Amino acid sequence: MTETTTEEIVTQSSDTEPALEQTPDDRQRVDDDVPNVIRTRAMNVFYGDFRAVADVSLGFATNQISALIGPSGCGKSTVLRSLNRMNDLIIGARTEGEVHYHGENIYADGIDPVRVRRTIGMVFQKPNPFPKSIHENIAWGAKVNGFKGSKLEMEDLVEQALRSAALWDEVKDKLGESGYSLSGGQQQRLCIARAIATKPDVILMDEPCSALDPIATLRIEELMLELKREYSIIIVTHNMQQAARVSDKTAFFNVKLSEEGMRTGHMVEYSPTEKLFTSPRETETEDYITGRFG
Amino acid sequence: MSLEAPPRPDQGLFPTDQEYDSLLGRRNRKAQFFKVFCLLMLTIAVVALATLLYTIVNDSFGLVAVVNQNDPDDVVASLGHDPETTTLNDLSYDELVGLLEANVSSGVGRRLERDQRFYEDRLVFESDEVWDEICSSNEPPAGCTRGPRNTADVFSLVQERVIVPDVIASYPLAQSIVNPEAFEQEVAAGFEAGRFGDYTADQASIEWRAWFNTTFLLAPASATPEIAGIRTAILGSVWLVVITVIFAVPVGVGAAIYLVEFAKPSRFNDFVQTNINNLAGVPSIIYGMLGLAILVRVLEPFTSGAIFTTGPAPSDNGRTVLSAGITLGLLTLPVVIISSQEALKAVPDSLRQAGLALGATRWQTVRSQILPVAMPGVLTGTILAVARAVGETAPLILVGAASFITADPTGPFSKFTALPIQIFQWTSFPQEEFRNIAAAASIALLILLLVLNAFAVILRNRYSRRIP
Amino acid sequence: MTPNDQVEVDRTPKSLLKQPRPGEMLIRGFLFICGAISIATTVGILYELGKESLLFFQDERVDFFEFITGTVWQPQGGAFGVWPLILGTLLISVIAMVVAVPIGLAAAIYLSEYASRRVRGFFKPVLEILVGIPTVVYGFFALTFMTPLLRSVLGSSVVGFFNVASAGVVVGILIVPLISSLAEDALSAVPDSLREGAYALGASKFEVSTRIVVPGALSGIAAGLVVAMSRAVGETMVVTLAAGAAPRNFTLGADSFFGYILNPFESAQAMTGYIAITASGDLAYNTIDYNSIFAIGLTLFFMTLGLNALSRRMVKRFREAYE
Repeated sequence: MTETTTEEIVTQSSDTEPALEQTPDDRQRVDDDVPNVIRTRAMNVFYGDFRAVADVSLGFATNQISALIGPSGCGKSTVLRSLNRMNDLIIGARTEGEVHYHGENIYADGIDPVRVRRTIGMVFQKPNPFPKSIHENIAWGAKVNGFKGSKLEMEDLVEQALRSAALWDEVKDKLGESGYSLSGGQQQRLCIARAIATKPDVILMDEPCSALDPIATLRIEELMLELKREYSIIIVTHNMQQAARVSDKTAFFNVKLSEEGMRTGHMVEYSPTEKLFTSPRETETEDYITGRFG
Repeated sequence: MSLEAPPRPDQGLFPTDQEYDSLLGRRNRKAQFFKVFCLLMLTIAVVALATLLYTIVNDSFGLVAVVNQNDPDDVVASLGHDPETTTLNDLSYDELVGLLEANVSSGVGRRLERDQRFYEDRLVFESDEVWDEICSSNEPPAGCTRGPRNTADVFSLVQERVIVPDVIASYPLAQSIVNPEAFEQEVAAGFEAGRFGDYTADQASIEWRAWFNTTFLLAPASATPEIAGIRTAILGSVWLVVITVIFAVPVGVGAAIYLVEFAKPSRFNDFVQTNINNLAGVPSIIYGMLGLAILVRVLEPFTSGAIFTTGPAPSDNGRTVLSAGITLGLLTLPVVIISSQEALKAVPDSLRQAGLALGATRWQTVRSQILPVAMPGVLTGTILAVARAVGETAPLILVGAASFITADPTGPFSKFTALPIQIFQWTSFPQEEFRNIAAAASIALLILLLVLNAFAVILRNRYSRRIP
Repeated sequence: MTPNDQVEVDRTPKSLLKQPRPGEMLIRGFLFICGAISIATTVGILYELGKESLLFFQDERVDFFEFITGTVWQPQGGAFGVWPLILGTLLISVIAMVVAVPIGLAAAIYLSEYASRRVRGFFKPVLEILVGIPTVVYGFFALTFMTPLLRSVLGSSVVGFFNVASAGVVVGILIVPLISSLAEDALSAVPDSLREGAYALGASKFEVSTRIVVPGALSGIAAGLVVAMSRAVGETMVVTLAAGAAPRNFTLGADSFFGYILNPFESAQAMTGYIAITASGDLAYNTIDYNSIFAIGLTLFFMTLGLNALSRRMVKRFREAYE
C-alpha cells in the first residue's frame, strides 16, 4: 500500500465520529508493507461495567518501537497490558474484540494466557526484581519456560541477557548478590535482561523510565534503540519527548465522555512519530503535544 | 493450538512448540494436584472442628439407664398429682421442702438448714430457740446470714436426697437415635455380667436424657454427676469477667492512649512497647503463678478482704474471686492494650492535627475527636480479649479455684469456681457420667463465647459502616 | 438581642506562655501509670519466678547442675532433673507442629493466592471458630475422642490411655489458625509487583505462588511458625488432661531411644502439666514442691520468651526486605 492510500484510510476514519460500535474494515490502521507482530481489532477493555478503553484497532510492526502516549486515564496502560493478557489478573476485567499475535487471536476460546506470555515479555514502571540473586532473577523465567540446557549453558544465557541489557560489566562479579542490591536504573535493566532471557520477540514496556533519574533514563532509551534490532518493542510513556526520541510510530490516546457518561479511553491518531509530532492530523493531538491540556 | 513464533536463534536450548505444550500440560497437572492438596488440608481443619463439636453434642444427650431409689413418678403421685401430667419440675417450692422434710433424716435436715435456710420467716428442721442460740454464738453458721434457698437449689436437694438417681450406663446421641436397641441389649448384658453391682435389671429404666438443659444451668454444683449443675460455675465466671473488665479495660485503654497519643518516641517507650508485646506471648499459666505468688500470697490481707473489716475476714485465704479476677485482668491487659493501640492508630492523623490546630490541648483532642472514632475498634478488641479470658483455665487452677464448692459467690472475697474449671475437673474424673456433664458444660461455655463474639462482630459491623 | 448589637470581644493580647493545666497533667499521670503497670507485671513475673526458683535451688536436696542436666524428675526420691519435663513438652510441641504446619501453610497459600471470596468466606470463619474454642474443651476432645481413636486404630497395647500423640495432635489442631493467619499476613505482604513480574515471564499461578511468593514470604512465615511453636510450648490444659501426670524419666543409653524415650504413644508430663497438677493438689507455701513449680515456670518463661524474641527478629528482617 502506498502512503496515500494509508492517508486516505486515515482521513476517512477521522471524518467519522469515533464510534463505540465496531465497524469492520475501515478501522485498520496498519502499515501493510511492514509485517505486524501484533494487531488489535476493535478491542474494548472493561473493568466490571466500566469501559476503560474503546474500540482500539492498531498494528504494531516488527522490529520497531511503537509508543502509546496520552494524558492520565486515557487507557494506554490498559491497552498495553491487554497485549499479553495481563489484564486477566485483574478481577472483573474483560476484553472484547481481538488481538492477533502472528495472525492468531490470543483472546480466542481455549488459549492459555501462560502460553501467550511465553514470547511476549514485559517491563514495568517500577523495577520489580525478585528477592533472589541477580543470576536467579534472570534464570528463573527461562527455567519456568522449560530451559533444556546445562548449567553452563544457563550461565551463558544469563550473560547474554545481561550484555543485551547493558548491565553485564556492572554486575559480572556479583551475580550471586541480591537483585535489590542494585540501584534503580540497574534494577530496571535487570528486569529488561530478565525479560530478554526467555527469548521473546515482543517486549512491552509500561512507562519503564518514570521511576528513574534522567541519566538512567537515557541509558535505557539507548538500550531500547539497540534492542529493536532483535525485538519488537511497544512502550507506554507519559513523556512525549521520550516517545519522540525513541519511537518509530506513536499512537495518541485520549479520554472521552462516552454515551454512558463514563470516561473511556480511545485512540485518536496513530502515525509515524515524526509526522505525529510535526504535523498531527487531529486537533486533539496537536492540543496535547503543544501542552494545551494533559 | 500453539502460537507460532518465527524461528529464533538458540532455539535448541528452549523447548519446541510441541515440547512446550507437553511441558505446559505437566505444569498444569502439578498445579491441579497442589490445589487439591491445599483444599484437602483445609477440609481436614473443617472436619476437625466438626468432629469436636460433634463429640461434645454427642456426649450431652442420649439414652441412659438409670436406677432411682425413689421413682420420680411415685414421688409426684404421693403428693396427689397425676404423674402423667406433672413432673418433678412442676412441683412448688413448698412441696419440694415438704418432700425433704419427709424423706431426710433430721440430722441431715438440720445441717442443710444451718448451711442455708429454706424460708425467711420459719424454720423447717431446727427449733427457733436452738437457732437463735447458735446464731448468736462466736462462730455462727452460714445460714444465719445468708438469704433463703431458691427452687433450683431445693430441687437439686430433692434429687440428691429423695430420688437419688444413679445413672449406670449412658449412650451417645448418635447411637441413641440410630440404634437404641443396641443400648438396651448392652444394659441387659451388663446386668448379666454383674457389672452394675447390687442393682437388678428391673430396677433400671431406660430413658432419654438431655444432660444439657435448663435444670443443668440452674442447679448448683454437686459431687453426684446426675444432679450436678453449673450455676455456681456460671456465676463464678460472671464475677470473674466483671472484675477482669473493671481492672483491665480502663488500665489497658489508658495505657494504649498514653502510648499512642502522648508518649514521645524514646528508648523508654520503645522498651515499654516491646515489653507489652512480650507479655502478650507469655503462657497463661505463668500469669497464674504471678497471681498465686503475689495476689494470693503476698497481698492476702487485701485479697481476702481482711484489711477491709475489723471482724473475721470474709475469706480465710487469698484464693478469692478478686485474686483470680485481677490475675485474669493482668493476662488480658497486654491484648487489650495492643488491640486498642491498633484502633487508635487507625484514626487518621488529620483529625488530630485539626483538633490541635484549633487550640485544643492534647487530651481535649483525644477525648472529643479521637476516642469517639476509635471507640468501636477499642470495644470490639476488648470484648474479644475478654471472651478469651472467659475460657482460660490454667491461671485459675494456680490461683486456687475451689475444687469443690456449692455456694454461689456473693462478693469479691468469695471462694469461687468457674465454667472452665468445672469442665476441667469433670473431664479428669474417670466415671462416664462425668464425661456427659463435662460435655454439657462445654456446650454452655461455647454458647457463652458465641454470644460474646457475635456481640463483638455486630458491634464492629454496625460502627464500621458509620465511619466515612 | 438583635443581630446588630455589638458583642463585646476582648481583643487584648493574651500571654502565649504555657499555662499549668492541672487537669491535663492529672490525666497524663493516670495514663502514664497505666503504661507503667505493664512494666510492673513483667517485673513481678521475673521477680517472683526468680525468687522462688532461688529458694528451690537453695534447698539442700536440689543441685543446679543436676537440674539442668538430669534426666530423672522424682521429688520423693530427691531427683530433680528437668529434662523429663522438657522432653514431654518438646514431644508434644513437635507433634503439634508436624500436624499444624502442613495444614496451616496449605490453608494460608490457598486462601491468599487461590480462593475466591466465597470460598474464603467459608473457610475463614471455620478457622476463627477453631481459635476461639477454649483449650479445656480441646482437652476434653483429646481425652474423649482422639485417644480412643488412636487406641482403636493402632491398638490399645500400642497406645496408652494417656499418651503424648493424642495431646500433640489436638494441640496441633489448636494452633492451625495461628499459623494460617500469620502465614497469610506474610504472603499478602509480598508486593503484587513481584507477582506481576513473574506472570509476565510466562509462569502459571502455581509457579508464581510456590516459587516466587512463598519464598519471598519465607522469613515472615518462619516467624509465624516460631510463634506457633511458642504457643504449643505454653499450652496447659490439653497436655494436663491427655498427656499424662507423671514425668517420663529416662536414662540415656539404657532406655531405648525410639521405643521409649521418643515414643509418642506413651504418657509423659509436660512442664505446664506439672505446674498445673502440682498446684491443684494441696500445696503449702515454702515447700519444695511449691518452689519447684516456679523453677519449672522460669524455664518455661525463658523458652517462650526466647522463641518470641526470635520470631520478632525474623519479622523485622522480613519487613526490611520489602521496605
